[in-house]
Amino acid sequence: MKNSLLPAVAATMLLLVGAWPAMAQNSATPPELGAGVDSTLTIDGGVRAQIRVAFPAAEIDSSLSGEYLEAAREVEQTLRDDLEQTIVFNTQGPTELAVLSLTGDRTQDFEQFRSLGNEVVLLASIKPEGDKLVLDGWVYDLPSKQSILGKRFRGTLAQTRLIAHYLADAMHYQFTGRPGLMLTTIAFQSSRDGHQELYLMDYDGRNQRRISGHKSTSGYSDWSPAGDAIAYMSYFDGSPGIYYVELATGKKLPIYNEGVLNLSPSFSPDGRSIAFAHSNQSNVDVYRCDRNCTQPVRLTKSGAIDTNPSWSPNGKQLAFTSSRSGRPNVYVMSLDGADVRRISFEGNYNDGASWKPDGTHIAYASRDSGNKFRIAVTSLVDLTTKILTNGPDSYEEPSYSPDGLRLLFTLRRGKESQVYVMNAADGSDWRQLTHQGNSSAADWSSFKQK
Amino acid sequence: MNMDRKWIALVALVALLLVSACKKPDPVVTPPPPPMTETAPTTDVKPDTTPAGPVDATPKPVEKSLQELQQEAERSGLLGDVFYDFDKSDLRADARERLEKNARFMSENPEIVFTVEGHCDERGTNEYNLALGQSRSATSVDYLISLGVERSRFKTISYGEERPFCTESNEACWQKNRRARFVVTGRR
Repeated sequence: MKNSLLPAVAATMLLLVGAWPAMAQNSATPPELGAGVDSTLTIDGGVRAQIRVAFPAAEIDSSLSGEYLEAAREVEQTLRDDLEQTIVFNTQGPTELAVLSLTGDRTQDFEQFRSLGNEVVLLASIKPEGDKLVLDGWVYDLPSKQSILGKRFRGTLAQTRLIAHYLADAMHYQFTGRPGLMLTTIAFQSSRDGHQELYLMDYDGRNQRRISGHKSTSGYSDWSPAGDAIAYMSYFDGSPGIYYVELATGKKLPIYNEGVLNLSPSFSPDGRSIAFAHSNQSNVDVYRCDRNCTQPVRLTKSGAIDTNPSWSPNGKQLAFTSSRSGRPNVYVMSLDGADVRRISFEGNYNDGASWKPDGTHIAYASRDSGNKFRIAVTSLVDLTTKILTNGPDSYEEPSYSPDGLRLLFTLRRGKESQVYVMNAADGSDWRQLTHQGNSSAADWSSFKQK
Repeated sequence: MNMDRKWIALVALVALLLVSACKKPDPVVTPPPPPMTETAPTTDVKPDTTPAGPVDATPKPVEKSLQELQQEAERSGLLGDVFYDFDKSDLRADARERLEKNARFMSENPEIVFTVEGHCDERGTNEYNLALGQSRSATSVDYLISLGVERSRFKTISYGEERPFCTESNEACWQKNRRARFVVTGRR
């Protein structure tokens, strides 16, 4: 499987031409936004004032039929789902807007949208162009009736979801100054095809596709910071080694498979180095090396198990799991293995560190007295810990989204496991992303390079 | 002439064995390579009846003999797996006792080589358990070495909790899964 779709669609996509000349150039200062919009820019601090968007039914060209009509509907639905899944927007769709008696006259209709508390309106239209669909989206500020954003994307039937993601992402960028998650990708492992292999899926769980065929045990992947490759572990050569798959070509290369065990690769933020767990017959320790991994440097010497490293977002530290205190716990150290500091004190067993992208928190799985794992998040500022999951199952393997707002995790119930996602701040808004086989160990990509 | 052919066949077989011995074993299928004793020179005196050509020296009975050797040794208590406490990789008293018996068997059968698999129960995280399994096989092997067994006779591999011996969720079952398993993988 290749990820060749993205460049292809990017090439066929045109930023909006002509019609809305004011848009696009200066996304930093959208004109005359309604009051209250400012507070949404501090989403991370817990302020949840959302931008209220009226999104009436998209205008679907009447000439569309069959699979093209289906595709057009999917574009609209994907757009609605995208907006609904961000915490930036609060959208009213055709159902909520049905109470209005729209006239078709913008001046009047905009007032009506506004009467329901909306600040902006998103008008979308979908029409054919050769064998492609064209999605036009424009956003108006309701109080001023000024256009804020206008975008046009076109794509083939295979790219219907993608063009919707592009528009949603453009809106997200317009209102927050940063990309949304719509164009990000999640790597995970699944046994659905008989062996544990590597898979990718879109951020919303759609478009799940296998990218390895080792017919062995493979997984525990880590995205390269550029989003163009994945490092992972596989047993296919007999003992666990660390490999690298280039997504554009599908080419797989060994990174390190000396000794008897190589596990849990983690890229440095500049993509030039990799930390991993290694054993040459005896105990397991954390090592790091450059991308060619000719001379791995051993970082831990505790005599206990030291494993599962995770590189900090600023590149200066590694979180890892160590049993040096008797039980596995999460520690942080500098790149030379010094300044070791324990950061997990909950439960009786802590593993699987994932750094929040701003470097302020680490999420991990924390086992309670009932031998179930919960997702814990510890602040590196004051070492306070918050437990995010409180259900009957076991919740493990957290991984932050690149905006730090969502957390992937594995839900284990008996022998079954599936990948879920929730809000990172308070553990709310769970969504199940995988349903087939057993799936686990998801890792969220960085934002796509623009 | 016949003798020459036989030597060619023998050399070919040895080469084959060396090649297969160099390859790392596949974790899924574990039939060990055919041991070299099959070509032991004791058969030299007998007339060679095997036709020359590709050496397909029927590895089946050979594999079985390694397996049988393992099973017999296990049945008679000469060789056995080592069990661990929850979340631990250090050796309990019963583990040391077990390893001492294993060491005796190993010194009495100096040609046999082993793969020591580390296994865990399902209660940890999968990723940490891969490290814990390694640590378990390592503590077992380290103790055997301290008892005088050569390190070169062991290869260790961790399967974490991926290959349980018992799949129920209770302590009896978990204990069975927390082990270092000794697998006879060949003769040297």
